[in-house]
Amino acid sequence: MIRTQRALITISRVLILTMFLLGVLLPFYWLFITSLKPKLDILTTDIQYWPKNFTLDNYRVLWQSSNFDVFLKNSVLVSLGTGLFTTCFAILGGYALARYKFRGKQMAVYGLLLTQMIPGVMVMIPTVILFSKIGLMNNLGGLIMIYIVGNIPFCLILMRSFFDRIPVDLEEAALIDGCSKLRALFRVVLPIMLPGIVATFVFAFIGAWNELLCAIMFISSDEFKTIPVGLSMFVQNYDVNWGVMTAGAVMALVPSLIMFAIVQRFVVDGLTDGAVKG
Amino acid sequence: MKRFRSKEPYFMLAPSFLLLFIFLIYPLLSSFLYAFQSYKLTAPNDIGFNGIANFKAVFQDANFGMVLRNSFLWVVLTVGGQFVLGFILALALRKPFPGRNFYQAIVFLPWAVSSFVVGLTFRWLLNAEYGPVNDLLMKWGIIENKIYFLSDPNLALYTVILTMIWYGVPFFAIMLLAAMQSIPEDLYEAASIDGAGIWSKFWHITFSYIKQTIVLTLLLRTIWVFAAADLIYIMTAGGPANSSNILSSYMFMKAYATLDYGQASAIGLFFMALLIVFCYLFMRATKFEKAGNF
Repeated sequence: MIRTQRALITISRVLILTMFLLGVLLPFYWLFITSLKPKLDILTTDIQYWPKNFTLDNYRVLWQSSNFDVFLKNSVLVSLGTGLFTTCFAILGGYALARYKFRGKQMAVYGLLLTQMIPGVMVMIPTVILFSKIGLMNNLGGLIMIYIVGNIPFCLILMRSFFDRIPVDLEEAALIDGCSKLRALFRVVLPIMLPGIVATFVFAFIGAWNELLCAIMFISSDEFKTIPVGLSMFVQNYDVNWGVMTAGAVMALVPSLIMFAIVQRFVVDGLTDGAVKG
Repeated sequence: MKRFRSKEPYFMLAPSFLLLFIFLIYPLLSSFLYAFQSYKLTAPNDIGFNGIANFKAVFQDANFGMVLRNSFLWVVLTVGGQFVLGFILALALRKPFPGRNFYQAIVFLPWAVSSFVVGLTFRWLLNAEYGPVNDLLMKWGIIENKIYFLSDPNLALYTVILTMIWYGVPFFAIMLLAAMQSIPEDLYEAASIDGAGIWSKFWHITFSYIKQTIVLTLLLRTIWVFAAADLIYIMTAGGPANSSNILSSYMFMKAYATLDYGQASAIGLFFMALLIVFCYLFMRATKFEKAGNF
């Protein structure tokens, strides 16, 4: 009785997961094979589920006749900048929240959590106006700043929970051995936290890599557009070149997928810890 | 080290908080002012206070009722769908079995993908002429005529909602799975000894143990989904004829397409008020303050 019940549960588990798996993978499959089809095979009502002719033409067109290289460079710059700054600020702030007692600490934590309730679109317009006053419109630095602000509350809380997991004794032992506080932080604590630091970086990086609406609002000239903005400009045309579009989407996917594959486990652990225990 | 009191932590938190004040709190406060101003980029000489004219214009707009209704449907159906599917997924992944890491990595994948790639992919999948979805549905004899998923005003919103559900299931799955993994296994063993069935174990142990996480994720997710406008922008740009616009995308379109920052801010303020009321009611209904000091 119990054995059949167990077997049933296992079977339904595998069935459910396989359905999810297909549901997730099929759209990506369609995106990918479209990018490899010649134009005639894309725009046909005799839909090819397995492409007859493979070609890299769409990728060639993407690189040669659009500004994709510029978009790519901008996206890399913005995402790296966002990732690095956010991580540094989050390490500093997380350390302060985890290791010190100070007046206003509780308020700071609640303040950070409350910022999570402010929808980004709400502050977009005043920020546009502010940016045009101080000359940060159409400027990659300005965009990075927006993304840092968007990511910092969550990353800081995440970092704090990573510090919380590391026993203070480790640092105290280093201090007794004559290390300075800063040295103890860099030589003892941060190396242990490396997975958490990577997770935080990736979180901010992917966030910036994928963001669309702010980038549309804040960037107007082609030379500063990021990949999402660049591709969204194509897609609003009626005559969408789906081959090139899908090639662009596949290119945009690559970095996030690589990062996701490398750090999937830390990110999942990190997200949970940060959000649930705070 | 916790015993030390010094000024150091203030310096360490300063960069983060400084940025938050300049680029989040200050803009938030000033959006209150812009909502009461005539602020059209197309008429830069007319910028100035105009009382509640923006609100009047927004509320009297023929589309506003529909946008409100859409927002409600969008939030309820999207968050509901994501939650239910995420819960099922988390349950399926809860216990170790061969291949679990592989399954987990794949089903969490949409989380790493940008909304514009998702929007683009689904636009292409659902394309009436060349998309596989219509083709397969017709081949299998499920439908007789092509469905215009994104250009039929009765369908566009639901199409985007389904896409958004697909996109957000991993978030709930991750959060709920992590919470489930913290449930001590001996609770289940003890319940088995007492003769508890599957349902009673699910209800009394799994569900009640992760209730806090459920409440928290539902709250955060509702706020996020309510504010998410990018998928809508990519898939339908709010169309046809505003039939797939929700408050946040409507606001974005007002600002981006018509450059009317005053009216857009008024929509934003109204939107914010709705969110605050919702959060308040939600926290009271779920006794949120007791749900652990997060």
